[in-house]
Amino acid sequence: MKISEQDVEYVAKLAMLEVGDEEKKALAEQLSRIVEYVEKLNQLDLSGIEPTPQVITSVKHAVRDDRVAPRTGSSDAGRTVKLFKVPRVITER
Amino acid sequence: MNLKNITADKLVALYRNRDLTITEVIKTVYDQIERVDKDVRAFLSICPERALDEARRLDGQIAAGEPMEPLSGVPVAIKDNISVRDLPTTCASRVLEGYIPPYTATAVERLRAAGAIIVGKTNCDEFAMGSTTENSGYYITRNPHNLDRVPGGSSGGSAASVASGTSLIAFGSDTGGSVRTPAAFCGVVGLKPTYGRVSRYGLVAFGSSLDQIGPLSKSVRETAQALQIIAGFDHFDSTSADSAVDDYVKGLDKPIKGTRIGIPKEYFVGGLDAEVKAKVEAGMRVYESLGCELQEISLPHTEYAVATYYLIATAEASSNLARYDGVRYGRRPGSPSSIQEMYCRTRAAGFGNEVKRRIILGTYALSAGYYDAYYLKALKVRTLMLRDFQKAFDRVDVILVPTSPTVAFKIGEKTGDPLAMYLSDIFTITQSLAGVPAISIPCGKNSENMPIGLQLVANHFQESLLLSVAHHFEKAGGFTV
Repeated sequence: MKISEQDVEYVAKLAMLEVGDEEKKALAEQLSRIVEYVEKLNQLDLSGIEPTPQVITSVKHAVRDDRVAPRTGSSDAGRTVKLFKVPRVITER
Repeated sequence: MNLKNITADKLVALYRNRDLTITEVIKTVYDQIERVDKDVRAFLSICPERALDEARRLDGQIAAGEPMEPLSGVPVAIKDNISVRDLPTTCASRVLEGYIPPYTATAVERLRAAGAIIVGKTNCDEFAMGSTTENSGYYITRNPHNLDRVPGGSSGGSAASVASGTSLIAFGSDTGGSVRTPAAFCGVVGLKPTYGRVSRYGLVAFGSSLDQIGPLSKSVRETAQALQIIAGFDHFDSTSADSAVDDYVKGLDKPIKGTRIGIPKEYFVGGLDAEVKAKVEAGMRVYESLGCELQEISLPHTEYAVATYYLIATAEASSNLARYDGVRYGRRPGSPSSIQEMYCRTRAAGFGNEVKRRIILGTYALSAGYYDAYYLKALKVRTLMLRDFQKAFDRVDVILVPTSPTVAFKIGEKTGDPLAMYLSDIFTITQSLAGVPAISIPCGKNSENMPIGLQLVANHFQESLLLSVAHHFEKAGGFTV
């Protein structure tokens, strides 16, 4: 499938990226070639095949016991610094 | 004293015998950096004061007769996408310029507890996205064997540092070949452990289902020593595996006679450089002479690897890199008029071309209407690749392939053509997608005197076997095949 400059602009917006006109043109060309290449996956019959988002399934998992343990190398982070200054991220409409 | 001619185990023995002090060796390292790194540019930052303080402290312990750690006083370098408290960690990106993490990656913490001394942070492709280190947001790193050539990537600085004698062990990270390719191009050993074998805590995320920290060094023994120290469960990384860690160093000399080595036919086809092919085939003969059984096998989905990888890795990257928005990290442009503008301007100014390209590709692959056609499809093909390996490992113990289809190419040769660059990763990608461990070891040089890498692959958590098979090759003189 061909990626148009409009596609690039739309996806860039989703990704919170600014792209200039020259950049947009180059990206549309490069991404078209890449997307055409990855479409070789359409040659495969994937009916009945389960997806593999994670390879190792033997890990005992995500939800661990909730207990306090020292953080590596950062025992005083959060002790010396109590507050962080950040830019305003909540604005009025 | 030239670090190019010594390995970590020998260096520690010299310290133990009081033939050398750690302080003088660390000073030598910085002299060597001064001499060679203005050309090679393996490092993004160095930390001589901190390293020398550490050296004096360890020398004091040795003088007082205190027991030494396995890597006491060994100079190590850390890829700049791995967090070390109080040292800049930029991932070679402008978006993280000035960022100093408040904590240290578990793998680095363990390495330091084993006595290693960090001499600096190494250059890489921005956020580890690239195969040559040409995508660094700061400067390129050059191949110590030929300064007109790339060192490989993305862990190019780490490989170049080991090869130019400015560290003995260096950490890289491997998402689709980023430890193994630079190891091959720079003539050193590079290991990508099984996914989950080494904690990723403190490794800045690129493709979370693929990323692994791996060591680079001049010998298989040092690789085994390093893995011994960093492998194992870490409750700070929920994807780290809670399975037993073998004694990799002890396992090195286990006999390999009768080991079944698979040669997948899909790797020895068009596109493979004739001289690389010849050296890798000479490597096979070394194994035959060591009593191993070579068998032809098939990994039929190899040709789909690049397509699959560049959908999955970019999709994961587009999500992981959303956090660089100007709020928490690094630089942000002055006085934006809205929050939206702050995000967009931070990212436009902070990310380089390749990172933007991958974020856009990944966002596209995940976007409404395309998710099933691209991302989900790629995850299914990944299942087929995993099955390819499982079938292969029913018949053989280890798989032998080239690490890269070519030797290190010229700087600038492929930067204009992203797809050609992606295709150069063809031999290292399937192992990452399947999560299996793989090691690149040197197997000689071509007629232009550029190193060639031979890659061995084993089943999940079979690092002990992998390292011993690699070690026997080294011992049989295979590195100079």
